[in-house]
Amino acid sequence: MAACALAVLAAVLACVCIQQSRFDPAVMVAAAASPAAPSPAGLLERWPEGVSPMSGAEAFTQGTLSDKIDGKAELYLSAGFVSLKSQRVSLAGAQGTWMEILVYDMGLPSNAYSVFSSQRRPNAADAGMGDYSYEADNELCLVHGSYYVEVVCSGSSDPARRAAEALARAFIGSTAVAEHANVGAEQALFPTEGLIAGSIALVPSDVFGLDQLRNVFVARYRDGAGELTLFAARRDAPGAAAREAAELRGFFVADCGGKEAPPPPSPPGASIIEMDGAFEAVFSSGPYVAGVHQAPDRASAQRWLGVISRRIAGERP
Amino acid sequence: MNPPAPEPGPLASRREFFRRGLRAGAAIAATGGLGAWLLNRHPPGDFSRVRASDPRRDFSVRTAGPRMAVATGRSRPAMLRAALAAMGGIERYIARGDRVMLKVNAAFATPALLCATTHPELLAELVRLCHSAGAASVVVTDNPINAPESCFELSGIGPAARAAGADLFVPGPGSFRPGTLPGGRLIRDWPVLSEPFAGVTKLIGVAPVKSHDRAGASMTMKNWYGLLGGRRNQFHQDIDGIIVELAMLVKPTLVVLDGTDSMMTNGPTGGSLADLKATNTLIVATDPVAADALGATLLGRSFRDLAYLSRADGLGLGTTDFESLHPARVQAQAS
Repeated sequence: MAACALAVLAAVLACVCIQQSRFDPAVMVAAAASPAAPSPAGLLERWPEGVSPMSGAEAFTQGTLSDKIDGKAELYLSAGFVSLKSQRVSLAGAQGTWMEILVYDMGLPSNAYSVFSSQRRPNAADAGMGDYSYEADNELCLVHGSYYVEVVCSGSSDPARRAAEALARAFIGSTAVAEHANVGAEQALFPTEGLIAGSIALVPSDVFGLDQLRNVFVARYRDGAGELTLFAARRDAPGAAAREAAELRGFFVADCGGKEAPPPPSPPGASIIEMDGAFEAVFSSGPYVAGVHQAPDRASAQRWLGVISRRIAGERP
Repeated sequence: MNPPAPEPGPLASRREFFRRGLRAGAAIAATGGLGAWLLNRHPPGDFSRVRASDPRRDFSVRTAGPRMAVATGRSRPAMLRAALAAMGGIERYIARGDRVMLKVNAAFATPALLCATTHPELLAELVRLCHSAGAASVVVTDNPINAPESCFELSGIGPAARAAGADLFVPGPGSFRPGTLPGGRLIRDWPVLSEPFAGVTKLIGVAPVKSHDRAGASMTMKNWYGLLGGRRNQFHQDIDGIIVELAMLVKPTLVVLDGTDSMMTNGPTGGSLADLKATNTLIVATDPVAADALGATLLGRSFRDLAYLSRADGLGLGTTDFESLHPARVQAQAS
């Protein structure tokens, strides 16, 4: 009898487990009913002259961000995304012209810089506002403290650009931040000679395909007819930097099929790895892990390794 | 004064033990049975009252055979006309009385010039051509998760569809039915767009060429993502898998891949004209895998860079060897 009771209990447990292992579409539908909570107030209390809201503000969380920006959500989520508010506005006197302001709260100024720099358009002009900014045709992007802001216009006319600038300045003026983004020290690690303008970026995660390699500054350089990437990241302690350098080296060799080339004479402990016809170089120096990515040949990898290691050592020619 | 302690009762007899055990077992069984009976009887929404069905739909025209045409130029309507003419004319695919669905990409409320959505000029011309072939009706649809009305209106798709004489279908919660794809691992008991398919006899997918942070590229195969309802963003964890299953879900009559201006970076939303490159190409094909394999080259990639293409090819859902279709290559003259 006790065995029967236990059998019944086991059957109930099995049923519960089977049911819980399935998606419940009803829950899915119910959850989908309100993906974006409308924000009670507009994004700005006072809109610039000639700009007026054409819709209410929308708010998105980590769970609903992809409803708004689909596959691009991963970039933001991996960089520490907290929330997004957006609102569309129309321009007086410009029939059919509208724009949308998207304000991403990234939690930290460095996170905001990360998504800003990762999407920076080549040859974009500095917009001269906020901590960092640029204008690219119909779009204005900026970092203000922990906020990353995009203003996307439906056209690229002068009035639209001026309105976008006014909108961005209004946001900056009305939004106090505790701390501003400043990556000047990291940017200074990268020499200007050969640097492709606007290419310095802070990659939030999955750097070079290694999941656990996060928050690494990269910069692209012209090297003869080709290009390569220099990278550098400051860690809390030399041990952490050395450990990450070893992990990256191991990843290139064990997971990517790279082959270790004879080590370069300097900096000490550096490695050069041949991989898919290109050359990777990795080293650590004090709290920095750094190197060269996809150099066209070994000599180039070694030359640029010398450049970045000297910059880290404080030798700025 | 304390009352006397009760006399200890006699130990349960063997018979009493069995009787109690039987009652307990019956109570447990009844509870379990009641739970099973009540399970999902009245879930939120009407969705789960319907049993999941096989959601596969085949709109291919077998007599037409696998075909492909690649038009070059700058005018989308002219390229579409030229490509369809090179494939034997739209009449080969759309017959008099057909009820046609055009599955567009209306995922974002962004202006047409950003090319994140199906271009309204291309859509309008396609609607016109379907009508000229004798289509009884043309319905335009997609399932943008966020602010669908704004997506259709601000992308220009809604106004273009209406002006060209098509019906616009904006899905609501009741537009989906649970579907389980035979052999599918992800589309199981999942809300699949159903309502606008009623009576539809032909299906054409119309999508732009875009980079995609997660999938690598978003073209005609990724465009079927809009047939899914629910919290579909979780499929981003296996984006290649869901795109392949979507290719199993629908076999379209045609796909139209717009690479007039391809979104080279920052897709799928883009945002800046700087993300676009004039690639001056429009592809029409019966085989979405072939169309996307060729479309990948517009982004400077190979089909090998997009895992879902090779997997779809391996499952016989199409071919990545688009040259095997002997695509007709035509230069479009703007009218």
